Amino acid sequence: MTNHLLEERAKTAAPSDTRGAGTTARRRRSWLRRDETLGAWVLLAPYTVLFLVAAAIPIGYAFVISLQRAPSLVNPTSGFGGLESFATVVGDYRFWSTFINIFTLMAIWLPIMILGIVALALLIHASPGRFGGAMRFVYYIPGALGGIANFVLWVYLIDPVNSPIAFLWQGLGASTYKEVITPGNMPFILTAMLFFQGIGTWIVVVNGGLNGISDEVLEAARIDGANAWQLAWHVKLPLIRPWVGYAALMNLAYGFQLFLEPYLLRQISSGSVVAEWAPTQLGYAFAFTNRNFPAAAALSIILLLITLGIGLIIVTRSGLFGDETSTRTTRAQRKERRTA
Amino acid sequence: MTRVSATRVSDVPRVVGSHRWNAGRIARIVVMVVIAAAFLLPIIGFIALAFGSQENIESGASGFLNLGGMSWENIVYSWNQITGFGPGNGGLFQQWMINSAIVSVGGAALALVAAIPAGYAFARLRFRFRKAFLIATLLAMVMPNTVLVIPIFLEVNAINAVGQLWPVAVIMGFYPFGVYLSYIHFMTTMPHELVEAARIDGLSELRTFFEIALPISKQAIALVAFFSFVANWTNFFLPLALLTSSQQNKTISIGIQELIGASPLFNATVAAGLDVKLYLPQLALATVISMVPLLAMFIGAQRFLVRGQTIGAVKG
Repeated sequence: MTNHLLEERAKTAAPSDTRGAGTTARRRRSWLRRDETLGAWVLLAPYTVLFLVAAAIPIGYAFVISLQRAPSLVNPTSGFGGLESFATVVGDYRFWSTFINIFTLMAIWLPIMILGIVALALLIHASPGRFGGAMRFVYYIPGALGGIANFVLWVYLIDPVNSPIAFLWQGLGASTYKEVITPGNMPFILTAMLFFQGIGTWIVVVNGGLNGISDEVLEAARIDGANAWQLAWHVKLPLIRPWVGYAALMNLAYGFQLFLEPYLLRQISSGSVVAEWAPTQLGYAFAFTNRNFPAAAALSIILLLITLGIGLIIVTRSGLFGDETSTRTTRAQRKERRTA
Repeated sequence: MTRVSATRVSDVPRVVGSHRWNAGRIARIVVMVVIAAAFLLPIIGFIALAFGSQENIESGASGFLNLGGMSWENIVYSWNQITGFGPGNGGLFQQWMINSAIVSVGGAALALVAAIPAGYAFARLRFRFRKAFLIATLLAMVMPNTVLVIPIFLEVNAINAVGQLWPVAVIMGFYPFGVYLSYIHFMTTMPHELVEAARIDGLSELRTFFEIALPISKQAIALVAFFSFVANWTNFFLPLALLTSSQQNKTISIGIQELIGASPLFNATVAAGLDVKLYLPQLALATVISMVPLLAMFIGAQRFLVRGQTIGAVKG
């Protein structure tokens, strides 16, 4: 303990000693360094405050709350409850079904989404000039309908009587909203909603990756006799793998936080689907229906850990955030560096 | 189209796409146009719906995608229904639009004040914990913000501020994607040498930021303002958790949810007690109107967005 403190003091004392005896240049450098650190933290101050208020403190506070005991009728006082709330959440009869719902949705939605993003981005890239640009713009338009607007559009599309795709619903034997929005149809309806809203931005992202491929690479493949299909499959696709992986992981993380769509589908289904379809809805129910804040906090921590894990993979392994964070360099990055 | 590609073939050797009208090219163009139609027709039908009337739609008199049933009278009728919603003479819809404007503009202003200097500090200054803080920022950026809503609710609840607008604006001001955009901006547009030169001239770190970095960051400012405004305006779960308790303080996204809940299509008992009738044309009109500020922002920011797609190739 004492040794440790002494070491610490020695470390902090060292710079002032060198300054006393050092050359002008060294003195100047250490002064600059201190000034730079100070300046950096002044510039970072507003962001740091917001980071604390909107991320760090709520996470810490949720963690503290999750370790409390929920007040009950028998024992209205709350106190330290250990992992009791986590056990409550995991033991809740709805907990696993919400995750099964999400995994079912992902199994259907993610492959379609990734296939759609890659196919449309490749089609756009194979169409140079104004036509490709116009198509990219059109594919982007649904993405501009954020959140509730996309939902109301789908309220119109799943109207079993007046929708332009009413024939589809009537083919399924549905004539009311309640009959369209059934538990079995939920993954498909959500897939359609998420695909329609999400695909545009991702096409732009993957298209950005495609535009980064140098002309020489494509030229060389063409001289070797590759046709458009071979060019896309053997040359372009391997080169944009980091962007596709990034899209897949981001959408995966997005799936775990799904709230608006299942929440509002429940509202218009006259109760034909459950109120706790997604894990976030279960958290909402714990907080606002049961007023069991420790359980709501515990569920938030569980979701946070899952999405944090996916986030860590994206940030450190995708290779899209530069050398500073990446643990390995991707082929695309090496190529970028060569051309730079 | 044909003419453009034809002239190009003779001038520049092209490496992507083919120039002749072969079967592959025709198939590609047909597929792309069909998909474009599948993306656009629902939106066209939805906008036409906002100009329609419930009677025409029910009787099937509006034709394909309701395009035949559009009229200005319908809009006026629907507008009166929407604005008539609420206690007394209504007016909740306008109040919700104003509330959305307050939190979205307030949130975007805070996001700018925080993100531009932070992005500069991350990009061009050296300090302890720089890398750790940067990684925390990237993590916060790729994590879906819904995950933090319940913890944020617990925090705001602890200070008894649930139902007020200001906590929503403050939370919206935390916009890590904006920091990332600003970081990339300073990395690409402001070389290290410029910072060094300013230091040699005796400028302090803060003056270097305000006098050299800030004047060249118009692009980053426009992008951060645009993206954060759009994210704030369309945010649903945060206002739902923080503002549901106060009818007057709702934002438009959760306000539209309220309108859906008051429609005779979904809740006959609630709707029966109301003076206004909210069917699909009214809901569609409310939605279209709620999108107007986004459209205005998009048009205003358009010339910055074109280049922004290249800086922010990684989406937030």
